[in-house]
Amino acid sequence: MSETVELAASFVAEETCAHAIEALREAHVGQSRIFSPMPCHKIQHAIGLPPSPVRAYVLGAGISGVITGLLITIGTSWEWNLVAGGKPIVSWPPFIIICFELMILFGGTTALLTFMLMARVPAFEPTAGYRSRFSGDRFGVVVVCDEQQADMVETILKQVGAEEIMRDAA
Amino acid sequence: MTRRYQEHEEIAVSSNPGAVLQKTGVEPEHRPIRAAGPVFTGVSAALTVIGVIAFAVGLTNGAAARVWQAYLVNLLFFLCVAQGGVVVSAAAYLSQGRWAGATQYRLAEAGGMFLPVGFVLFFGLFFGRTVIFPWVQHPVAQKAAWLNTPFLFARDGIALLVMTLLSLGLMRASRSAAACAWAANPANIVMPPPAVRRLAPAVAIAFAAIYTLIAFDLIMSLAPAWHSTLFGAFFFGASFLSGIAAMALGAVLLRSVLGEHNIFRTPRVLHDLGKFLFAFSVFWVYLLFAQYIVIWYGDMPVETFFIVQRVYYPPWEAFSYAVAILMWVIPFIVLMGVRPKRTPAILGTVAFAVLVGAWIELYVLVVPSLSQWVVPFGWIELFISLGFLGIFLLSSAHGINLVSTTATTEQLMEGEGHA
Repeated sequence: MSETVELAASFVAEETCAHAIEALREAHVGQSRIFSPMPCHKIQHAIGLPPSPVRAYVLGAGISGVITGLLITIGTSWEWNLVAGGKPIVSWPPFIIICFELMILFGGTTALLTFMLMARVPAFEPTAGYRSRFSGDRFGVVVVCDEQQADMVETILKQVGAEEIMRDAA
Repeated sequence: MTRRYQEHEEIAVSSNPGAVLQKTGVEPEHRPIRAAGPVFTGVSAALTVIGVIAFAVGLTNGAAARVWQAYLVNLLFFLCVAQGGVVVSAAAYLSQGRWAGATQYRLAEAGGMFLPVGFVLFFGLFFGRTVIFPWVQHPVAQKAAWLNTPFLFARDGIALLVMTLLSLGLMRASRSAAACAWAANPANIVMPPPAVRRLAPAVAIAFAAIYTLIAFDLIMSLAPAWHSTLFGAFFFGASFLSGIAAMALGAVLLRSVLGEHNIFRTPRVLHDLGKFLFAFSVFWVYLLFAQYIVIWYGDMPVETFFIVQRVYYPPWEAFSYAVAILMWVIPFIVLMGVRPKRTPAILGTVAFAVLVGAWIELYVLVVPSLSQWVVPFGWIELFISLGFLGIFLLSSAHGINLVSTTATTEQLMEGEGHA
Protein backbone atom coordinates (compact mmCIF):
# COMPACT_ATOMS: atom_id res chain seq x y z
CA MET A 1 0.00 0.00 0.00
CA SER A 2 1.65 3.12 -1.18
CA GLU A 3 1.36 6.49 0.45
CA THR A 4 -0.02 9.49 -1.38
CA VAL A 5 1.99 12.67 -1.25
CA GLU A 6 1.22 16.25 -1.98
CA LEU A 7 3.66 18.32 -4.03
CA ALA A 8 3.15 22.08 -3.98
CA ALA A 9 5.07 23.98 -6.64
CA SER A 10 5.13 27.74 -6.93
CA PHE A 11 5.69 29.67 -10.14
CA VAL A 12 6.65 33.27 -10.76
CA ALA A 13 5.14 33.62 -14.24
CA GLU A 14 1.80 32.52 -15.65
CA GLU A 15 3.49 31.11 -18.78
CA THR A 16 5.62 28.66 -16.80
CA CYS A 17 2.64 27.72 -14.69
CA ALA A 18 0.62 27.01 -17.85
CA HIS A 19 3.55 24.97 -19.19
CA ALA A 20 3.64 22.94 -15.99
CA ILE A 21 -0.08 22.18 -16.26
CA GLU A 22 0.35 21.03 -19.84
CA ALA A 23 3.37 18.89 -18.97
CA LEU A 24 1.47 17.23 -16.11
CA ARG A 25 -1.53 16.56 -18.34
CA GLU A 26 0.73 14.95 -20.93
CA ALA A 27 2.38 12.76 -18.28
CA HIS A 28 -1.05 11.70 -16.90
CA VAL A 29 0.00 11.84 -13.28
CA GLY A 30 -1.99 12.46 -10.15
CA GLN A 31 -4.62 15.00 -9.39
CA SER A 32 -3.50 18.56 -9.68
CA ARG A 33 -5.06 21.71 -8.35
CA ILE A 34 -4.15 25.13 -9.69
CA PHE A 35 -4.01 28.36 -7.69
CA SER A 36 -3.76 31.70 -9.41
CA PRO A 37 -3.74 35.15 -7.80
CA MET A 38 -5.61 36.54 -10.83
CA PRO A 39 -7.88 35.33 -13.64
CA CYS A 40 -5.67 34.04 -16.43
CA HIS A 41 -6.65 32.90 -19.92
CA LYS A 42 -3.45 30.96 -20.55
CA ILE A 43 -3.89 28.82 -17.46
CA GLN A 44 -7.56 28.30 -18.30
CA HIS A 45 -6.60 27.10 -21.79
CA ALA A 46 -3.90 24.84 -20.33
CA ILE A 47 -6.32 23.22 -17.87
CA GLY A 48 -8.59 22.51 -20.82
CA LEU A 49 -11.86 22.35 -18.93
CA PRO A 50 -15.02 22.64 -21.02
CA PRO A 51 -16.71 26.07 -20.94
CA SER A 52 -18.61 26.78 -17.75
CA PRO A 53 -22.31 25.82 -17.68
CA VAL A 54 -23.06 29.24 -16.16
CA ARG A 55 -23.61 30.67 -19.64
CA ALA A 56 -26.36 28.15 -20.38
CA TYR A 57 -28.11 29.03 -17.11
CA VAL A 58 -27.86 32.72 -17.95
CA LEU A 59 -29.35 32.15 -21.41
CA GLY A 60 -32.23 30.21 -19.89
CA ALA A 61 -32.83 32.83 -17.22
CA GLY A 62 -32.68 35.63 -19.80
CA ILE A 63 -35.29 33.94 -21.96
CA SER A 64 -37.54 33.31 -18.96
CA GLY A 65 -37.09 36.99 -18.05
CA VAL A 66 -38.44 38.00 -21.48
CA ILE A 67 -41.37 35.61 -21.12
CA THR A 68 -42.13 36.92 -17.61
CA GLY A 69 -42.04 40.47 -18.98
CA LEU A 70 -44.53 39.57 -21.69
CA LEU A 71 -46.83 37.78 -19.22
CA ILE A 72 -46.82 40.70 -16.78
CA THR A 73 -47.39 43.44 -19.36
CA ILE A 74 -49.91 41.65 -21.56
CA GLY A 75 -51.62 40.02 -18.56
CA THR A 76 -52.16 43.28 -16.69
CA SER A 77 -53.33 45.01 -19.87
CA TRP A 78 -55.96 42.35 -20.41
CA GLU A 79 -56.95 42.42 -16.78
CA TRP A 80 -57.50 46.18 -16.77
CA ASN A 81 -58.52 47.39 -20.23
CA LEU A 82 -57.27 50.94 -20.23
CA VAL A 83 -57.25 52.70 -23.58
CA ALA A 84 -54.49 55.30 -23.59
CA GLY A 85 -54.06 57.77 -26.43
CA GLY A 86 -56.22 55.71 -28.76
CA LYS A 87 -53.62 52.97 -28.85
CA PRO A 88 -54.53 49.26 -28.76
CA ILE A 89 -54.93 47.62 -25.34
CA VAL A 90 -51.88 45.45 -25.95
CA SER A 91 -49.40 47.95 -27.39
CA TRP A 92 -46.13 46.11 -27.63
CA PRO A 93 -43.48 48.87 -28.12
CA PRO A 94 -43.20 49.87 -24.43
CA PHE A 95 -43.48 46.20 -23.40
CA ILE A 96 -40.14 45.56 -25.10
CA ILE A 97 -38.51 47.75 -22.47
CA ILE A 98 -40.04 45.73 -19.61
CA CYS A 99 -38.99 42.47 -21.29
CA PHE A 100 -35.47 43.80 -21.77
CA GLU A 101 -35.17 44.93 -18.15
CA LEU A 102 -36.44 41.62 -16.79
CA MET A 103 -34.10 39.74 -19.12
CA ILE A 104 -31.16 41.66 -17.65
CA LEU A 105 -32.43 41.24 -14.07
CA PHE A 106 -33.02 37.50 -14.36
CA GLY A 107 -29.86 36.89 -16.36
CA GLY A 108 -27.66 39.00 -14.10
CA THR A 109 -28.82 37.52 -10.82
CA THR A 110 -28.66 34.00 -12.26
CA ALA A 111 -25.12 34.65 -13.45
CA LEU A 112 -24.09 35.71 -9.96
CA LEU A 113 -25.86 32.87 -8.14
CA THR A 114 -24.83 30.05 -10.49
CA PHE A 115 -21.27 31.37 -10.55
CA MET A 116 -21.17 31.20 -6.75
CA LEU A 117 -22.68 27.73 -6.84
CA MET A 118 -20.29 26.39 -9.46
CA ALA A 119 -17.22 28.04 -7.93
CA ARG A 120 -18.31 26.89 -4.46
CA VAL A 121 -17.98 30.34 -2.97
CA PRO A 122 -18.12 31.59 -0.34
CA ALA A 123 -15.65 28.99 0.96
CA PHE A 124 -14.90 29.28 4.66
CA GLU A 125 -12.16 26.66 4.76
CA PRO A 126 -9.15 27.11 2.47
CA THR A 127 -8.91 24.52 -0.31
CA ALA A 128 -6.46 21.69 0.41
CA GLY A 129 -2.97 22.62 -0.70
CA TYR A 130 -3.53 26.36 -0.56
CA ARG A 131 -0.64 28.62 0.45
CA SER A 132 -1.18 32.30 1.21
CA ARG A 133 1.39 33.26 -1.45
CA PHE A 134 -0.98 31.92 -4.12
CA SER A 135 -3.22 34.91 -3.40
CA GLY A 136 -0.25 37.24 -3.57
CA ASP A 137 2.54 37.08 -6.10
CA ARG A 138 2.87 33.39 -7.01
CA PHE A 139 1.03 30.84 -9.14
CA GLY A 140 0.65 27.44 -7.53
CA VAL A 141 0.33 23.90 -8.86
CA VAL A 142 -0.46 21.33 -6.18
CA VAL A 143 -0.24 17.68 -7.25
CA VAL A 144 -1.56 14.78 -5.21
CA CYS A 145 -0.06 11.49 -6.38
CA ASP A 146 1.40 8.11 -5.35
CA GLU A 147 4.74 8.14 -3.64
CA GLN A 148 6.34 6.22 -6.54
CA GLN A 149 5.31 8.91 -8.99
CA ALA A 150 6.38 11.80 -6.77
CA ASP A 151 9.94 11.93 -8.05
CA MET A 152 8.80 11.97 -11.66
CA VAL A 153 6.31 14.76 -10.94
CA GLU A 154 8.99 16.70 -9.14
CA THR A 155 11.32 16.36 -12.13
CA ILE A 156 8.61 17.55 -14.52
CA LEU A 157 7.84 20.54 -12.33
CA LYS A 158 11.50 21.41 -12.01
CA GLN A 159 12.06 21.07 -15.74
CA VAL A 160 9.36 23.56 -16.66
CA GLY A 161 10.76 26.04 -14.16
CA ALA A 162 9.06 25.75 -10.78
CA GLU A 163 10.51 28.22 -8.34
CA GLU A 164 10.10 26.08 -5.25
CA ILE A 165 8.65 22.60 -4.61
CA MET A 166 7.40 21.43 -1.22
CA ARG A 167 6.56 17.81 -0.48
CA ASP A 168 4.05 16.82 2.22
CA ALA A 169 2.27 13.64 3.12
CA ALA A 170 -1.27 14.00 1.87
CA MET B 1 -17.37 19.71 -29.08
CA THR B 2 -16.49 23.05 -27.67
CA ARG B 3 -12.82 22.19 -27.76
CA ARG B 4 -12.84 21.77 -31.51
CA TYR B 5 -12.23 25.39 -32.37
CA GLN B 6 -9.44 25.57 -29.85
CA GLU B 7 -7.59 22.59 -31.20
CA HIS B 8 -6.34 24.07 -34.43
CA GLU B 9 -5.03 27.19 -32.81
CA GLU B 10 -1.71 26.92 -31.16
CA ILE B 11 -2.01 28.03 -27.59
CA ALA B 12 1.23 29.86 -27.66
CA VAL B 13 2.48 29.89 -24.14
CA SER B 14 5.50 31.40 -25.64
CA SER B 15 8.99 31.14 -24.32
CA ASN B 16 9.43 34.64 -25.71
CA PRO B 17 6.42 36.53 -24.41
CA GLY B 18 7.40 39.85 -25.95
CA ALA B 19 7.35 38.59 -29.50
CA VAL B 20 3.71 38.47 -30.39
CA LEU B 21 3.78 39.88 -33.85
CA GLN B 22 6.72 38.80 -35.85
CA LYS B 23 7.85 40.03 -39.19
CA THR B 24 8.29 36.78 -41.05
CA GLY B 25 10.53 38.44 -43.56
CA VAL B 26 9.65 38.50 -47.22
CA GLU B 27 10.52 35.05 -48.38
CA PRO B 28 10.48 34.29 -52.06
CA GLU B 29 7.79 31.60 -51.91
CA HIS B 30 5.30 33.86 -50.21
CA ARG B 31 5.91 37.33 -51.44
CA PRO B 32 3.24 39.88 -50.54
CA ILE B 33 0.38 39.35 -52.97
CA ARG B 34 -1.29 42.39 -54.49
CA ALA B 35 -4.97 41.60 -54.08
CA ALA B 36 -6.02 44.60 -56.16
CA GLY B 37 -4.17 43.79 -59.37
CA PRO B 38 -4.99 44.56 -63.02
CA VAL B 39 -8.09 42.32 -63.04
CA PHE B 40 -9.47 44.12 -59.99
CA THR B 41 -8.80 47.52 -61.54
CA GLY B 42 -10.24 46.41 -64.88
CA VAL B 43 -13.49 45.14 -63.35
CA SER B 44 -13.84 48.25 -61.16
CA ALA B 45 -13.24 50.51 -64.15
CA ALA B 46 -15.82 48.57 -66.18
CA LEU B 47 -18.36 48.98 -63.33
CA THR B 48 -17.61 52.69 -63.22
CA VAL B 49 -18.18 53.02 -66.96
CA ILE B 50 -21.50 51.15 -66.67
CA GLY B 51 -22.53 53.55 -63.92
CA VAL B 52 -21.58 56.64 -65.90
CA ILE B 53 -23.48 55.38 -68.95
CA ALA B 54 -26.57 54.59 -66.86
CA PHE B 55 -26.32 58.05 -65.29
CA ALA B 56 -26.14 59.77 -68.69
CA VAL B 57 -28.84 57.62 -70.32
CA GLY B 58 -31.14 58.06 -67.31
CA LEU B 59 -30.76 61.85 -67.36
CA THR B 60 -31.37 62.16 -71.09
CA ASN B 61 -34.43 59.89 -71.02
CA GLY B 62 -36.51 61.83 -68.55
CA ALA B 63 -35.69 59.70 -65.48
CA ALA B 64 -33.86 62.53 -63.71
CA ALA B 65 -35.66 61.99 -60.38
CA ARG B 66 -34.68 58.32 -60.23
CA VAL B 67 -31.12 59.04 -61.32
CA TRP B 68 -30.58 61.63 -58.61
CA GLN B 69 -32.24 59.53 -55.92
CA ALA B 70 -29.95 56.63 -56.76
CA TYR B 71 -27.01 59.04 -56.86
CA LEU B 72 -27.80 60.38 -53.39
CA VAL B 73 -28.40 56.94 -51.85
CA ASN B 74 -25.14 55.55 -53.22
CA LEU B 75 -23.12 58.64 -52.41
CA LEU B 76 -24.30 58.41 -48.79
CA PHE B 77 -23.75 54.65 -48.63
CA PHE B 78 -20.18 54.66 -49.88
CA LEU B 79 -19.29 57.78 -47.86
CA CYS B 80 -20.66 55.94 -44.80
CA VAL B 81 -18.63 52.81 -45.50
CA ALA B 82 -15.40 54.70 -46.20
CA GLN B 83 -15.79 57.16 -43.33
CA GLY B 84 -17.02 54.49 -40.93
CA GLY B 85 -13.84 52.52 -41.62
CA VAL B 86 -11.57 55.49 -40.90
CA VAL B 87 -13.47 56.15 -37.69
CA VAL B 88 -13.02 52.49 -36.68
CA SER B 89 -9.30 53.11 -37.09
CA ALA B 90 -9.54 56.26 -34.93
CA ALA B 91 -11.54 54.36 -32.31
CA ALA B 92 -8.95 51.58 -32.27
CA TYR B 93 -6.18 54.13 -31.69
CA LEU B 94 -8.20 55.78 -28.92
CA SER B 95 -8.58 52.43 -27.18
CA GLN B 96 -5.04 51.40 -28.17
CA GLY B 97 -6.39 48.25 -29.79
CA ARG B 98 -3.82 46.00 -31.38
CA TRP B 99 -5.76 42.77 -31.80
CA ALA B 100 -4.56 42.40 -35.37
CA GLY B 101 -1.44 44.54 -35.31
CA ALA B 102 -0.94 47.06 -38.11
CA THR B 103 -3.23 45.01 -40.38
CA GLN B 104 -6.36 46.10 -38.53
CA TYR B 105 -5.53 49.75 -39.23
CA ARG B 106 -4.74 49.11 -42.91
CA LEU B 107 -8.01 47.18 -43.20
CA ALA B 108 -10.06 49.90 -41.52
CA GLU B 109 -8.52 52.62 -43.69
CA ALA B 110 -8.66 50.64 -46.95
CA GLY B 111 -11.63 52.58 -48.31
CA GLY B 112 -10.44 55.96 -47.04
CA MET B 113 -9.35 57.24 -50.42
CA PHE B 114 -13.00 57.30 -51.48
CA LEU B 115 -13.51 60.29 -49.13
CA PRO B 116 -11.93 62.94 -51.41
CA VAL B 117 -13.78 61.37 -54.36
CA GLY B 118 -17.04 61.46 -52.41
CA PHE B 119 -16.34 65.10 -51.47
CA VAL B 120 -16.18 65.97 -55.19
CA LEU B 121 -19.23 63.83 -56.03
CA PHE B 122 -21.20 65.63 -53.30
CA PHE B 123 -21.18 68.80 -55.43
CA GLY B 124 -22.80 66.78 -58.23
CA LEU B 125 -25.98 67.00 -56.13
CA PHE B 126 -26.06 70.69 -57.01
CA PHE B 127 -27.22 69.75 -60.51
CA GLY B 128 -29.94 67.51 -59.15
CA ARG B 129 -31.10 69.84 -56.37
CA THR B 130 -34.45 70.66 -57.98
CA VAL B 131 -35.55 67.01 -58.09
CA ILE B 132 -33.90 65.93 -54.82
CA PHE B 133 -34.68 68.69 -52.34
CA PRO B 134 -38.42 69.48 -52.13
CA TRP B 135 -37.68 72.82 -50.47
CA VAL B 136 -35.86 74.15 -53.57
CA GLN B 137 -39.10 74.50 -55.52
CA HIS B 138 -41.42 74.83 -52.52
CA PRO B 139 -39.47 76.77 -49.90
CA VAL B 140 -40.54 76.27 -46.29
CA ALA B 141 -41.01 79.77 -44.94
CA GLN B 142 -39.93 79.12 -41.33
CA LYS B 143 -36.89 77.11 -42.34
CA ALA B 144 -35.75 79.19 -45.29
CA ALA B 145 -32.79 80.59 -43.36
CA TRP B 146 -31.36 77.08 -43.04
CA LEU B 147 -32.80 75.24 -46.05
CA ASN B 148 -31.55 77.24 -49.00
CA THR B 149 -29.26 76.09 -51.77
CA PRO B 150 -26.15 78.30 -51.27
CA PHE B 151 -26.02 77.79 -47.51
CA LEU B 152 -26.58 74.02 -47.74
CA PHE B 153 -23.81 73.43 -50.25
CA ALA B 154 -21.47 75.85 -48.46
CA ARG B 155 -21.87 74.34 -44.99
CA ASP B 156 -21.95 70.70 -46.09
CA GLY B 157 -19.07 71.31 -48.51
CA ILE B 158 -16.92 72.83 -45.76
CA ALA B 159 -17.95 70.11 -43.32
CA LEU B 160 -17.08 67.31 -45.75
CA LEU B 161 -13.82 69.05 -46.61
CA VAL B 162 -12.84 69.21 -42.93
CA MET B 163 -13.84 65.57 -42.45
CA THR B 164 -11.89 64.47 -45.53
CA LEU B 165 -8.75 66.39 -44.57
CA LEU B 166 -8.83 65.06 -41.00
CA SER B 167 -9.37 61.52 -42.24
CA LEU B 168 -6.57 61.72 -44.80
CA GLY B 169 -4.34 63.21 -42.11
CA LEU B 170 -5.09 60.33 -39.77
CA MET B 171 -4.46 57.79 -42.55
CA ARG B 172 -1.13 59.43 -43.34
CA ALA B 173 -0.08 59.47 -39.69
CA SER B 174 -1.31 55.92 -39.26
CA ARG B 175 0.75 54.66 -42.20
CA SER B 176 3.95 56.21 -40.84
CA ALA B 177 6.75 53.89 -39.76
CA ALA B 178 6.34 54.92 -36.10
CA ALA B 179 2.63 54.09 -36.02
CA CYS B 180 3.18 50.74 -37.78
CA ALA B 181 5.91 49.82 -35.32
CA TRP B 182 3.65 50.79 -32.43
CA ALA B 183 0.76 48.71 -33.79
CA ALA B 184 2.92 45.67 -34.46
CA ASN B 185 4.05 45.28 -30.86
CA PRO B 186 1.19 44.88 -28.37
CA ALA B 187 3.61 44.05 -25.58
CA ASN B 188 4.85 47.62 -25.71
CA ILE B 189 2.74 49.82 -23.43
CA VAL B 190 3.78 53.23 -24.82
CA MET B 191 1.15 55.48 -26.39
CA PRO B 192 0.71 55.72 -30.17
CA PRO B 193 2.78 58.42 -31.95
CA PRO B 194 1.77 62.06 -31.20
CA ALA B 195 0.34 62.80 -34.67
CA VAL B 196 -2.03 59.84 -34.34
CA ARG B 197 -2.89 60.82 -30.78
CA ARG B 198 -3.98 64.28 -31.89
CA LEU B 199 -5.84 63.28 -35.04
CA ALA B 200 -7.76 60.22 -33.78
CA PRO B 201 -9.96 62.11 -31.28
CA ALA B 202 -10.40 64.95 -33.78
CA VAL B 203 -11.66 62.48 -36.41
CA ALA B 204 -14.02 60.83 -33.92
CA ILE B 205 -15.53 64.10 -32.68
CA ALA B 206 -15.76 65.68 -36.15
CA PHE B 207 -17.41 62.50 -37.42
CA ALA B 208 -20.22 62.75 -34.86
CA ALA B 209 -20.82 66.44 -35.58
CA ILE B 210 -20.42 66.40 -39.35
CA TYR B 211 -22.34 63.21 -40.05
CA THR B 212 -25.19 64.54 -37.94
CA LEU B 213 -25.21 67.61 -40.17
CA ILE B 214 -25.09 65.43 -43.30
CA ALA B 215 -27.99 63.31 -42.01
CA PHE B 216 -30.08 66.39 -41.26
CA ASP B 217 -29.30 68.13 -44.55
CA LEU B 218 -29.24 65.29 -47.04
CA ILE B 219 -31.86 62.94 -45.60
CA MET B 220 -34.09 64.71 -43.11
CA SER B 221 -34.53 67.79 -45.28
CA LEU B 222 -36.11 65.61 -47.99
CA ALA B 223 -39.15 65.56 -45.69
CA PRO B 224 -38.83 69.17 -44.49
CA ALA B 225 -41.74 68.89 -42.04
CA TRP B 226 -40.13 66.01 -40.10
CA HIS B 227 -37.55 66.20 -37.37
CA SER B 228 -35.89 63.81 -34.93
CA THR B 229 -32.99 64.87 -32.74
CA LEU B 230 -31.56 61.39 -32.54
CA PHE B 231 -31.54 60.93 -36.29
CA GLY B 232 -27.95 62.14 -36.68
CA ALA B 233 -26.63 59.65 -34.14
CA PHE B 234 -28.66 56.91 -35.76
CA PHE B 235 -27.10 57.79 -39.13
CA PHE B 236 -23.48 57.87 -37.98
CA GLY B 237 -24.02 54.77 -35.83
CA ALA B 238 -25.10 52.96 -38.98
CA SER B 239 -22.07 54.39 -40.77
CA PHE B 240 -19.75 52.96 -38.11
CA LEU B 241 -21.53 49.61 -38.41
CA SER B 242 -21.14 49.64 -42.23
CA GLY B 243 -17.43 50.33 -41.78
CA ILE B 244 -17.10 47.29 -39.51
CA ALA B 245 -19.15 45.10 -41.86
CA ALA B 246 -16.96 46.15 -44.79
CA MET B 247 -13.86 45.27 -42.72
CA ALA B 248 -15.24 41.83 -41.86
CA LEU B 249 -16.23 41.13 -45.47
CA GLY B 250 -12.85 42.39 -46.67
CA ALA B 251 -11.02 40.20 -44.17
CA VAL B 252 -12.93 37.09 -45.27
CA LEU B 253 -12.35 37.80 -48.97
CA LEU B 254 -8.65 38.63 -48.54
CA ARG B 255 -8.23 35.54 -46.40
CA SER B 256 -8.86 33.30 -49.41
CA VAL B 257 -7.10 35.55 -51.95
CA LEU B 258 -3.84 36.07 -50.09
CA GLY B 259 -2.68 32.45 -49.98
CA GLU B 260 -1.59 30.31 -47.08
CA HIS B 261 0.30 32.89 -45.03
CA ASN B 262 -1.84 35.81 -44.06
CA ILE B 263 -3.06 37.20 -40.78
CA PHE B 264 -6.72 36.58 -41.66
CA ARG B 265 -6.01 32.83 -41.45
CA THR B 266 -5.73 33.34 -37.69
CA PRO B 267 -9.20 32.44 -36.34
CA ARG B 268 -8.91 34.99 -33.53
CA VAL B 269 -8.77 37.91 -35.97
CA LEU B 270 -12.08 36.90 -37.53
CA HIS B 271 -13.43 36.26 -34.03
CA ASP B 272 -12.61 39.83 -32.99
CA LEU B 273 -14.18 41.28 -36.15
CA GLY B 274 -17.26 39.13 -35.51
CA LYS B 275 -17.58 40.43 -31.95
CA PHE B 276 -17.27 43.97 -33.24
CA LEU B 277 -19.98 43.39 -35.84
CA PHE B 278 -22.27 41.77 -33.28
CA ALA B 279 -21.84 44.57 -30.74
CA PHE B 280 -22.49 47.43 -33.14
CA SER B 281 -25.41 45.66 -34.76
CA VAL B 282 -27.02 45.63 -31.32
CA PHE B 283 -26.07 49.29 -30.84
CA TRP B 284 -27.70 50.15 -34.16
CA VAL B 285 -31.00 48.50 -33.23
CA TYR B 286 -30.86 50.22 -29.85
CA LEU B 287 -30.69 53.62 -31.56
CA LEU B 288 -33.45 52.58 -33.96
CA PHE B 289 -35.72 51.56 -31.11
CA ALA B 290 -34.85 54.57 -28.97
CA GLN B 291 -36.07 56.78 -31.81
CA TYR B 292 -39.12 54.70 -32.58
CA ILE B 293 -40.42 54.46 -29.02
CA VAL B 294 -40.29 58.23 -28.45
CA ILE B 295 -42.15 58.96 -31.67
CA TRP B 296 -44.64 56.16 -30.94
CA TYR B 297 -45.39 57.45 -27.43
CA GLY B 298 -45.71 61.09 -28.48
CA ASP B 299 -47.97 60.08 -31.36
CA MET B 300 -47.81 63.49 -32.98
CA PRO B 301 -48.68 63.48 -36.69
CA VAL B 302 -45.77 65.77 -37.51
CA GLU B 303 -43.38 63.10 -36.23
CA THR B 304 -45.25 59.88 -36.98
CA PHE B 305 -45.87 60.39 -40.70
CA PHE B 306 -42.22 59.62 -41.50
CA ILE B 307 -42.44 56.26 -39.71
CA VAL B 308 -45.99 55.39 -40.73
CA GLN B 309 -45.21 55.76 -44.39
CA ARG B 310 -42.16 53.51 -44.11
CA VAL B 311 -43.23 50.89 -41.58
CA TYR B 312 -47.02 50.52 -41.78
CA TYR B 313 -47.92 50.80 -45.46
CA PRO B 314 -46.87 48.95 -48.56
CA PRO B 315 -44.72 49.17 -50.58
CA TRP B 316 -42.09 50.43 -48.11
CA GLU B 317 -43.19 48.26 -45.18
CA ALA B 318 -41.39 45.19 -46.54
CA PHE B 319 -38.16 47.14 -47.07
CA SER B 320 -38.17 48.43 -43.48
CA TYR B 321 -38.60 44.93 -42.13
CA ALA B 322 -35.87 43.69 -44.44
CA VAL B 323 -33.49 46.32 -43.01
CA ALA B 324 -34.19 45.25 -39.42
CA ILE B 325 -33.73 41.58 -40.32
CA LEU B 326 -30.52 42.09 -42.29
CA MET B 327 -28.87 44.54 -39.91
CA TRP B 328 -29.96 43.15 -36.57
CA VAL B 329 -31.92 39.84 -36.49
CA ILE B 330 -29.44 37.91 -38.64
CA PRO B 331 -26.20 39.21 -37.05
CA PHE B 332 -27.69 38.91 -33.56
CA ILE B 333 -28.80 35.29 -33.89
CA VAL B 334 -26.04 33.99 -36.15
CA LEU B 335 -23.06 35.67 -34.52
CA MET B 336 -24.05 34.88 -30.94
CA GLY B 337 -21.83 31.80 -30.73
CA VAL B 338 -18.06 31.58 -30.95
CA ARG B 339 -17.81 29.19 -33.87
CA PRO B 340 -19.90 31.16 -36.39
CA LYS B 341 -17.67 34.19 -35.73
CA ARG B 342 -14.62 32.09 -36.51
CA THR B 343 -16.07 30.46 -39.64
CA PRO B 344 -15.09 32.65 -42.59
CA ALA B 345 -18.07 31.73 -44.78
CA ILE B 346 -20.58 32.53 -42.03
CA LEU B 347 -18.92 35.76 -40.92
CA GLY B 348 -18.54 36.90 -44.53
CA THR B 349 -22.18 36.16 -45.35
CA VAL B 350 -23.43 38.02 -42.27
CA ALA B 351 -21.17 41.00 -43.02
CA PHE B 352 -22.49 41.07 -46.58
CA ALA B 353 -26.08 40.91 -45.25
CA VAL B 354 -25.36 43.88 -42.98
CA LEU B 355 -23.94 45.88 -45.89
CA VAL B 356 -26.97 45.09 -48.06
CA GLY B 357 -29.17 46.06 -45.11
CA ALA B 358 -27.28 49.34 -44.69
CA TRP B 359 -27.80 50.14 -48.37
CA ILE B 360 -31.53 49.37 -48.20
CA GLU B 361 -31.74 51.41 -45.00
CA LEU B 362 -30.47 54.53 -46.78
CA TYR B 363 -32.76 53.77 -49.70
CA VAL B 364 -35.73 53.58 -47.31
CA LEU B 365 -34.70 56.79 -45.57
CA VAL B 366 -34.23 58.75 -48.78
CA VAL B 367 -36.60 57.53 -51.47
CA PRO B 368 -40.05 57.33 -49.76
CA SER B 369 -39.83 61.07 -49.04
CA LEU B 370 -39.80 61.63 -52.79
CA SER B 371 -41.83 58.67 -54.04
CA GLN B 372 -44.41 57.60 -51.50
CA TRP B 373 -46.34 54.87 -53.30
CA VAL B 374 -43.92 53.56 -55.90
CA VAL B 375 -40.63 51.74 -55.38
CA PRO B 376 -38.40 53.04 -58.14
CA PHE B 377 -35.96 50.24 -58.67
CA GLY B 378 -34.82 49.10 -62.07
CA TRP B 379 -31.74 49.08 -64.23
CA ILE B 380 -31.05 52.79 -63.59
CA GLU B 381 -30.70 52.26 -59.82
CA LEU B 382 -28.86 48.97 -60.27
CA PHE B 383 -26.31 50.28 -62.75
CA ILE B 384 -25.72 53.56 -60.91
CA SER B 385 -25.11 51.54 -57.74
CA LEU B 386 -22.64 49.34 -59.61
CA GLY B 387 -20.98 52.49 -60.93
CA PHE B 388 -20.53 53.83 -57.41
CA LEU B 389 -19.21 50.44 -56.33
CA GLY B 390 -16.70 50.66 -59.19
CA ILE B 391 -15.56 54.15 -58.13
CA PHE B 392 -15.29 52.97 -54.52
CA LEU B 393 -13.20 49.93 -55.48
CA LEU B 394 -10.97 51.96 -57.81
CA SER B 395 -10.24 54.48 -55.09
CA SER B 396 -9.65 51.66 -52.58
CA ALA B 397 -7.21 49.69 -54.77
CA HIS B 398 -4.13 51.19 -53.14
CA GLY B 399 -5.59 50.70 -49.67
CA ILE B 400 -6.40 47.06 -50.43
CA ASN B 401 -2.86 46.44 -51.63
CA LEU B 402 -1.52 47.93 -48.40
CA VAL B 403 -3.75 45.53 -46.44
CA SER B 404 -2.46 42.64 -48.54
CA THR B 405 1.17 43.52 -47.91
CA THR B 406 0.74 43.97 -44.18
CA ALA B 407 -1.46 40.90 -43.80
CA THR B 408 1.04 38.63 -45.54
CA THR B 409 4.19 39.93 -43.86
CA GLU B 410 2.86 40.24 -40.34
CA GLN B 411 2.14 37.11 -38.37
CA LEU B 412 0.04 36.85 -35.29
CA MET B 413 0.44 34.09 -32.80
CA GLU B 414 -2.71 32.65 -31.32
CA GLY B 415 -3.62 33.16 -27.71
CA GLU B 416 -1.48 36.24 -27.26
CA GLY B 417 -1.87 39.95 -27.54
CA HIS B 418 -5.39 39.92 -26.19
CA ALA B 419 -4.93 43.32 -24.64
